[in-house]
Amino acid sequence: MNRKDLVAAAILLVIAGAYFLVAQRIPSSTLDDGVGPRGFPLVLTVALVALAAAIAVRATVTVPAPRGADENKETEARWPRALGLLVLGALYIPAAIVLGYPLALFLLLVAVALYEGKRFSWRMAAVASGGAAFFYVLFEVVLSVRQPEGLLF
Amino acid sequence: MDQIAYFLTVFAASVGGLVWGILGGSMPGLSPSIAMALLLPFTYALPPVAAIVMLATCYIGAEYGGSIPAILIRTPGTNAAAATVLDGYEMNRQGRASEALGISLWSGVVGSLFGLAMLVLLTEPLAQIALAFRYMTYFGLGLLGLSVIVSLSGKSLLKGAAAAVIGLMIATIGSDPISGVSRFTFGSPDLLEGVAPLLIMMGIFALTELMTRSGTPGIIMAPGASIRVRLPKLAMMKKIARAQGIGCAIGTFEGLTPGAGGSVAAFLTYNEARRWSKEPEKFGKGSEEGVAAPETANNVVASTALIPLLSFGIPGSNSAAVLLGGLLIHGLLPGPRLFEEDAEIVTGLYLGSFIATIVQIVIGTIILPVCIWLVNRPRPYLAAFIYALVVSGVYTVHLSIVDVGIVMGAGLLGYFMRYFGFPMLPLVLGVVLGGLIEANYRRSLLLSGGDYAIFLEDPIAIGFFILAILVVMGSLVSEWRKRIKERKEST
Repeated sequence: MNRKDLVAAAILLVIAGAYFLVAQRIPSSTLDDGVGPRGFPLVLTVALVALAAAIAVRATVTVPAPRGADENKETEARWPRALGLLVLGALYIPAAIVLGYPLALFLLLVAVALYEGKRFSWRMAAVASGGAAFFYVLFEVVLSVRQPEGLLF
Repeated sequence: MDQIAYFLTVFAASVGGLVWGILGGSMPGLSPSIAMALLLPFTYALPPVAAIVMLATCYIGAEYGGSIPAILIRTPGTNAAAATVLDGYEMNRQGRASEALGISLWSGVVGSLFGLAMLVLLTEPLAQIALAFRYMTYFGLGLLGLSVIVSLSGKSLLKGAAAAVIGLMIATIGSDPISGVSRFTFGSPDLLEGVAPLLIMMGIFALTELMTRSGTPGIIMAPGASIRVRLPKLAMMKKIARAQGIGCAIGTFEGLTPGAGGSVAAFLTYNEARRWSKEPEKFGKGSEEGVAAPETANNVVASTALIPLLSFGIPGSNSAAVLLGGLLIHGLLPGPRLFEEDAEIVTGLYLGSFIATIVQIVIGTIILPVCIWLVNRPRPYLAAFIYALVVSGVYTVHLSIVDVGIVMGAGLLGYFMRYFGFPMLPLVLGVVLGGLIEANYRRSLLLSGGDYAIFLEDPIAIGFFILAILVVMGSLVSEWRKRIKERKEST
């Protein structure tokens, strides 16, 4: 039994179920055609359920690949570490809303460098400050593309 | 636009894109599509012609850039450069790194020029065929594009199909294409226009890559101080011409085939070049032809992969999908109308690609020390700066912080897809083609009053349906045979 594929199939079923439930709340319109705005989502739900079922069936009859079969896995981060990096990006969102772009970006640069194994030093602070200033000038001044304005700065 | 200003714009954009591409391609882990996606934010403020030229020439540059670490440290900068490792690194070990880099650069130039010629010759005639397309034809074309990608881009057809369905689901977010009713927006006005494919690409290409490589050791490129690019002399050019010819032929075919891509072309060409070589025993031991063949092929693909995109709006690779994102951001729709209404974009694309190919000989030579310096930066700083570029860049799409959140979500999705062995390209293509497939399916039925026989009235659409079925069946049979073979081997 291939447990990994079985878990993947279960996640696909959850996605299909959630998608179907939200699709049921799509309002009708007088401009609706025969298929309607819920028609295509329904087809997709059925397709995903069928594919999830097929993956699950196949997972129960196949043997998983032996450990070390995929060489790349050795150079890939484990999922808690990978998700940690994502959390830093997610924290950038409230930081940008409150502190503004330059400061939030400085914090992101420092946080990611620390998370990736660099020790804090004045050099790191200088690199992060320089990086934040560089991106600010590049987007706001050179390209004239606005970046988030914070509540404080 | 004044002709001189137009030329200068195209020239500057092609050089800028080329430099970015070489630097990006030389960094292991940054594929051409990621390098292009990271470049996208800088193109918003540019004229459309400059933006498209920058993206296309970035692709050309990345293919050469990928060969630099492949030759110097046995680590391909891009997937397509993996075949270059075999003989390129051997040449380096024999003290012939400069020669290998020169052959790689020269073969890239030959491949790019040939690919560009194919692009110019084939794209517009194919686009004219699209003038005869009706709603049903576009529906069939969308299905065919998706089927081919699903069949070719992964080890499992089922997982590829599931990825495509998730992509199609993401494409249903926003206003309904017929009635305008909002779907899956959860009351957020930011989602009414749907999820821009670019956000998904940034998430699943760039962010997923950062997540996957988090905490892994960096790569140190420490070649001897005397490494420089030495272009081949006339005798060597003649010697590798046969391998380059094979690369041109296979690269053209693979570029036109959605889902095949540069890496497939490079390995196929490597094998064929060995088969037709006068010195096949040298392959794997530092053969010049072994470097020339894959490098020519993947550079041909960089141009010919744009043919189905520009003709029909079907991106056949990750990089072509990013270029499509660039076109859409500037309000440009690929297909025959692009050639009629925005001819300056197409001309600029051809001209820019030509300039980049020629300029590559000079820039490719002088930029080598910069590539080595860049790759040797501490990995934590590189990751932090790429992350900063991602969050800054995606904000500029709609000036909305919600987009940063969408990219985080796409990164999470991409990470788990990779973890569970689902291919990414079908998902991207599902997002890109979802609107086209649903809208044309429903418009066809509106036209026929709900009669499904309308799909059998259009001969081109029927051809697409049959091809789609054949592709899927072929893939199923191939997967089934492979499993039987594996089972026999294990017993």
